[in-house]
Amino acid sequence: MEQFKKTTQRNSIIFALIHGATYLPAVWLLKHHIFGQPVSIIITIVPIITFAIFIFKLIKAFSVMDEVKQRVQLEAVVIGFSLTVMLMMILFLLSLCDISNPGWFGYGYLVCYCWLFYFVGLFISKKKYGV
Amino acid sequence: MKNTIKVERAKKNWTQEDLAGKIGISRQSVNSIETGKFIPSTVLALKMAKVFGASVESIFQLEKQD
Repeated sequence: MEQFKKTTQRNSIIFALIHGATYLPAVWLLKHHIFGQPVSIIITIVPIITFAIFIFKLIKAFSVMDEVKQRVQLEAVVIGFSLTVMLMMILFLLSLCDISNPGWFGYGYLVCYCWLFYFVGLFISKKKYGV
Repeated sequence: MKNTIKVERAKKNWTQEDLAGKIGISRQSVNSIETGKFIPSTVLALKMAKVFGASVESIFQLEKQD
């Protein structure tokens, strides 16, 4: 059982790295307009597929965690999600009065902020439960 | 809710790691429960009671504010 837990958690980390390894080159390729539209669409889909597999593996890893760690993850996700929604609301409201900075708060950056907020949530939650 | 996990462990001369292995959770999780930061589920409380050979009520007690 312990070995199964470790394997499941390792798999989620491996797929996170695979996702990163497909996402960053995809961003670079699409940004520099190296390929035509049909190929660009395929390049766009590849990191989405690796992300979907990563999420599937992550949920599987959550399910084999003990209840304290599951609570920690749940609270981290709730905090991360709430902070992301707050940021999006702020950006939307500011965009209504033409105050926005796409250089720092574009869609691509929101993904980074989302992960940042998840790790903030994880830090808070770990502190709370002493894990 | 207060608990007597530390006392029960001392009686058996078990470390947190030992207890964690017996009930299938991590050492950090045992520490979190022992220090009262996390209230375990009924299943986990029953597992603890079983390995200690004691009743759940003797390990976990309600406090006035509960």
